[in-house]
Amino acid sequence: MIQLSNIQKSFGKTEVLKGIDLQVNKGDIVSILGPSGSGKTTLLRCINFLEKANEGTIKVDNIALDVKTASKKEITELRKKTAMVFQNYNLFQHKTVLQNITEGLMIVQKKSEKEAIEIAKTMLTKVSLEHKANNYPSALSGGQQQRVGIARALALNPEVILFDEPTSALDPELVGEVLDVIQKIAKEGITMIIVTHEMNFARDISNRVVFMDGGVVVEEGTPSEIFNNPKSDRTKQFLRRLVPEFTYEI
Amino acid sequence: MGSSFEPSLIVESIPKLLSYLHITIEILALSVGLGLLLGILIAMPRLYHIPILKEIVTVYISFIRGTPILIQLFLVFYGLPVVVGLFGIDITRMDPFYFVIVTYTLSNAAAFSEIFRGAITSVDYGQTEAAYSIGLTPLQNFYRIVFPQAFRVAFPNIANASISSLKDTSLAFSIGVMDMMGRGETLISATMHAVEIYISLAIIYYVIVLIFERLFKWIERYLNRYLVKDELSL
Repeated sequence: MIQLSNIQKSFGKTEVLKGIDLQVNKGDIVSILGPSGSGKTTLLRCINFLEKANEGTIKVDNIALDVKTASKKEITELRKKTAMVFQNYNLFQHKTVLQNITEGLMIVQKKSEKEAIEIAKTMLTKVSLEHKANNYPSALSGGQQQRVGIARALALNPEVILFDEPTSALDPELVGEVLDVIQKIAKEGITMIIVTHEMNFARDISNRVVFMDGGVVVEEGTPSEIFNNPKSDRTKQFLRRLVPEFTYEI
Repeated sequence: MGSSFEPSLIVESIPKLLSYLHITIEILALSVGLGLLLGILIAMPRLYHIPILKEIVTVYISFIRGTPILIQLFLVFYGLPVVVGLFGIDITRMDPFYFVIVTYTLSNAAAFSEIFRGAITSVDYGQTEAAYSIGLTPLQNFYRIVFPQAFRVAFPNIANASISSLKDTSLAFSIGVMDMMGRGETLISATMHAVEIYISLAIIYYVIVLIFERLFKWIERYLNRYLVKDELSL
């Protein structure tokens, strides 16, 4: 359903992505792991053209674009099929929680105000923030803001939700509430691609894990393949540092 | 001017002067309104790095900032008919009021565009990315997400510039527009009392400025409604 072929991206002379191929099927929950600077966030941002790749093709549902020839209009059409949850939430500061969610429903999907509000309220209930509907983002905690960000993405009923390190900017005690919400919506069968540093979360939630390093996909497989039986030395090295081994427990 | 100071004249001339207040307000409203539109427009070339246009607006803004408004007024009043005359259109008999509007619009636009440019850059780019990610077009992002927030940031400066502009309207009389200032000059000739009339004028301008300041504070508070308190005190 999502097909990335030969995605290449450089910032100046630095090659960040060196020809990535990735296929994501409907209902997949794919976690992308890797050290900082491995290109995982850039890859995610290339999917909805927030970063314009230099080379390659991107296909989401029935829209296939060559990055070099894609027009602004085609890019907007592709973006309508996707939604994103950002590290820094990026809520619209001048709009209430409810308006943040209805914005895309009314302006992009041309739904009536009544219908948009109804959907928004359902989504807010899903992230347990129905009582904050009329608050402005500045009055919410980081965890609450991120849950609104998730509700905003979810409301659009996209083909895929892209999560860009959704818990990295949060205070440690707020990480749990956001991960719980993602875990909950994951059960609804929505396709998700998640860039994260939360290893246990990735292992629990995903049906596929992609390990990236140095702008290439080093290894991919099921969580148990990657976490319990990694093939490449680079993956082993990375996981050893991040996932505590049983031997430490004694 | 010869005769002794007559305080009663200050009070008496206020209603006479106020009957020309609407001219002052019209000049202000039109030049601020049109100046806002033009100001947003000429902020674009520098914000989005449009070649050639960018250089032109830079020179234009620098020129307006670097020359007195009175000279700009005379330049437009005497210069515009010459320029337009080249195309065979005669505007030498046009009401000087329009020349005032043109001058003050050009002047306000330059000031406003610089204010807007700063304000637009101050809106966090992450929100633009979020707008794109949900499928808004760049234009929709500009007028629904970026501009409303930039306007809040710009508003206090816009308000200050507008108040300066209000005071500058008193120069319109130099090219023959009959506003409060103009009426004041004729009253001085008629009564031979200059100080009293200027005191009346000073009172009127001061009170109007106070009213505008109060109004702008009120609007500012509305625009800031979505900020938390401690963010405001920064």
